[in-house]
Amino acid sequence: MINRKKFDFRLLTALMILIIFGCVAIFSASTTRIGDRSSTQNHWWKQIIFSVIALGAVVAMIKLPMPVFDLAILPLFFVNLLALILVLFTPAVNGSHRWFSFGGINVQPSESAKLLTILIVARSISKEHLTEMKQILYGIGIMIVPVALIIIEPDFGTTLVFWCSLLAMLIAADVPLFYILLIISPVISIVSSFYLPAMIIWLLILILLLIRFHLSWVAVTVASIINTFIALIMPVFWNSLKDYQQNRILTFIDPMRDPLGAGYQIIQAKIAVGSGAIGGKGWLAGTQKNMNFLPEHHTDFIFSVIGEEFGFVGSLLLLGAFFYFFWRLSVCVIDLKVRERRIATAGIMAYLMFQTFINIGMNIGLVPATGIPLPFISYGGSNLLINTVAVGVILKYMNERGFMK
Amino acid sequence: MIRSTPVLVYRIVLAILFLALIIALFRLQVIKGEYYKQVAELNFVRIRRVPATRGEIYDSKYRPIVVNIPSHNLYLTSGKIHNLPSLVRFLSAYFGITEQDLEQLVFQQRFKTYEEILLADNIPYETVLSLSEMMNYYPELSFRIGTTRSYLYPNHFTGYVGRINEDEYSQYKQEDYSINSYIGKTGLESYYEVLLRGQDGKEIVQVDAQGRSLDLFRNEGSIEPLNGLSLVLTIDNDLQEAANQAFPAGRKGAVVVLDAKTGGVLAYVSRPEFDPNVFMQRISPEIWAELNGKDRPMLDRVIHAAYPPGSVFKPLTAEIGLELGLVYRNTRLASCVGGMQYGNRFFRCWNHGGHGSTNVIDALKVSCDVYFYDLSQRIRLDVFHDYAYKNYLCVKTGIDLPNERNGFFPTTSWYHEKLGKAINIQGHKINLSIGQGEVLTTPMQIAAFYNALANNGLWIQPHILQQTVGRGRLTREEVQEVKTTRLPISPANLAIIRDGLWAVVNAPGGTGANSKVSDGTVYGKTGSAENSMGKVTHAWYAGYLVTDKPEITVVVFAENAGGGGAIAAPVANRIFNYYLGNREMIRQVVPIPANLQSNETPIETPPVESIPAENPAPSPVTGEAEE
Repeated sequence: MINRKKFDFRLLTALMILIIFGCVAIFSASTTRIGDRSSTQNHWWKQIIFSVIALGAVVAMIKLPMPVFDLAILPLFFVNLLALILVLFTPAVNGSHRWFSFGGINVQPSESAKLLTILIVARSISKEHLTEMKQILYGIGIMIVPVALIIIEPDFGTTLVFWCSLLAMLIAADVPLFYILLIISPVISIVSSFYLPAMIIWLLILILLLIRFHLSWVAVTVASIINTFIALIMPVFWNSLKDYQQNRILTFIDPMRDPLGAGYQIIQAKIAVGSGAIGGKGWLAGTQKNMNFLPEHHTDFIFSVIGEEFGFVGSLLLLGAFFYFFWRLSVCVIDLKVRERRIATAGIMAYLMFQTFINIGMNIGLVPATGIPLPFISYGGSNLLINTVAVGVILKYMNERGFMK
Repeated sequence: MIRSTPVLVYRIVLAILFLALIIALFRLQVIKGEYYKQVAELNFVRIRRVPATRGEIYDSKYRPIVVNIPSHNLYLTSGKIHNLPSLVRFLSAYFGITEQDLEQLVFQQRFKTYEEILLADNIPYETVLSLSEMMNYYPELSFRIGTTRSYLYPNHFTGYVGRINEDEYSQYKQEDYSINSYIGKTGLESYYEVLLRGQDGKEIVQVDAQGRSLDLFRNEGSIEPLNGLSLVLTIDNDLQEAANQAFPAGRKGAVVVLDAKTGGVLAYVSRPEFDPNVFMQRISPEIWAELNGKDRPMLDRVIHAAYPPGSVFKPLTAEIGLELGLVYRNTRLASCVGGMQYGNRFFRCWNHGGHGSTNVIDALKVSCDVYFYDLSQRIRLDVFHDYAYKNYLCVKTGIDLPNERNGFFPTTSWYHEKLGKAINIQGHKINLSIGQGEVLTTPMQIAAFYNALANNGLWIQPHILQQTVGRGRLTREEVQEVKTTRLPISPANLAIIRDGLWAVVNAPGGTGANSKVSDGTVYGKTGSAENSMGKVTHAWYAGYLVTDKPEITVVVFAENAGGGGAIAAPVANRIFNYYLGNREMIRQVVPIPANLQSNETPIETPPVESIPAENPAPSPVTGEAEE
């Protein structure tokens, strides 16, 4: 039941380009050459199968009547929460409890939780006659449940994704920007507190912005005092931490401090990407990839293979494809008139955008290593499936827009 | 136009993020691209494993038993291979490595092609010299100096180390083993692997071809290796050598000497001898055939083989009779007329001339079978079984060595399962009462039992580790507790059995007269066990030496060697006499040498193998002397 006039073929095309790009890169990443021989693991083939399954799921979902789809989300969300609890009792893999293993297939419930939480939050904050404060509290209140469960796993990187999409959804719900500013201001205060001039400048900017938004003097004063307090208390709190605790946090912020762990991987990724130079070494011809310095270069470090083999030109092409894809998503946000769907689309867009930026940034040493895969490109069945289905949700919304509530 | 505000925010954020990525990529790939190309080509940034030195093994006087010696090793970096056929020719010509071997190694290592794989170890120095010129053609190969183990005398308790194999690697890689790691395969090397191995260090190498630091990391990190702990054993090298000498040449069998007070193993001999050093080199087919030949030199006859104990088992039968109140010191049982009629079968005594009617002390002294035949008819089989287990016979002693055998004692249900419900168990009990039939024990179990008799019934778990030295000092108790239990025998009944064992050695007509010594008192029992391995009996001797206090317990076992009194008792006698002659030296306490001292607290956890449960279910093993 694809509506030819309404269906967003351009978004689908952008999605397909990204998936195909991914399969090509995965093929190369799982090929190892020894002398004049080479052997390829079947990751690329599995990824193609996963893509077909994912696209099939999207088609099935689009055919599903909208009321059924809407009804299904809440039960699915609760099932997913249950899975997040159960996964804590699985045996630890590399020190965290993230995966269910069914006969060689690993399923990460935190993947589907991203999408379902976004849909649930979108539904609850889109209700009419909610004050702005209530929208914010509902959003945080729902979000905190899966986030808490995922932090216990522990999987810190994934939880950041949740907060990013919450911010985007609040913006889409027309919550005034100064609320957003108030929400994120403590985070910036904490970060800026490590450098006194930065802290003072930030607090000044904050006060100016709040006045600019015509807030009452009381509100401005309270917000400023809270932020100043946070900024001042941080160094005290920091000094009370034990050395190893400080080290752990510093290593997260700056992996280069830990050359035998995370820093080593980032350095190897940087060398691989950098050595690709302008034109790249050519497909399957990567030398760094071939030496296997990076343990997981078909998953989290897939971009290092792309950067090495396709160079700056290839990297730009991939970034272009992503940019076009996200641009189309922003067009969808404009086109969708139903409030709930518009908010959901914004949330999905933010979570895909955040993951893309974090992953590529990690591969080129711009952000810390967090273990977040590159959407549509990295090898991994459940990740690909959920990301594709998330886009499928938007395709479905687009296909059925016009049914105004 | 309110609606477009959010979209505007998204688009601004999108543009900023992508701009940041593009700028970073431009800097990395366009501006610094050439630099990283060079770094990549030389790939001089990598993590290298710094192997820890494995702990050595010493005897109780800190004299070496196992030491580390330098060796030349050949390593391969599979990611650098450029001409595989040529490499295969070179390696098969000089190191006997086949194409399949190499391909398997390379395949195993396919996810870490930058890491060096140990191809061959203990390469003779002459080979290294003669090949060094050809090495220029194979940049993927490199010689480096490592260490290997040297076992200073043949023995069965140290075990040996070997390269980790694929199964072990997949099992233990979480514990930081690399594909090049050595791992204890048998004996103490395996049992105390956790203590011996230490912890490999890591260092990051980040220099270019000229040796300049690449400065990609602000400080070059490294983790120092933690060397393994050295083991100090209860073994006394002199007594070990004496026990080895005392055992007749050319015979197969075992000798165990326990310290009566502590249960520590003073000497541990299994024959034929086995030299663990053979596993430190590539094993030639001839040696391999010999190792697996019919003499089975690799078999540790002290704990890895279980045999019918014959008459050395009789004190247990006597203990049960006394404890159940079936007989007393002077109770005489059926008269021995060279055997005993039971049903339609005549069970022979070893002495076809007959012993007449005997009490328990005389029955032990002359080893009269008929006394025990008669006694066995009054003991229920399952009670017999329970007593055997409570005395730690036919059950693991829990000595700190791997793969100890249980031995075997049958139960009623076992017979029913094996031979049907109709079978008459009484006839089987007759055989069991003299340590024949289905019962199997290891020499170590017999030694622990007699040691308990020497210790007023206190059973002490035999053990071979005394303490650790080197990087960290751990006492025996800190590593693993030595279990002690009272055997189920009253002091009065124990005295009766001891009188019997005294008579065996010291009274006229005793079967163990050959073990008698002049400077102390020996209590013992001989055994000549019929078996399915040959026509000649296994010769057994088990006994202990008392001066002003219990000193040592000795068990001698010789496979198919003849009578215990004639063959095994003289061996024990030589050991008792050696001990008495060198008691001061054996008993002296030597201070820890300065080079082995340390005040560091080691971080190792105790070994994994646990002490067996009180009464484990009987194992269904019946075969003799099987590994």
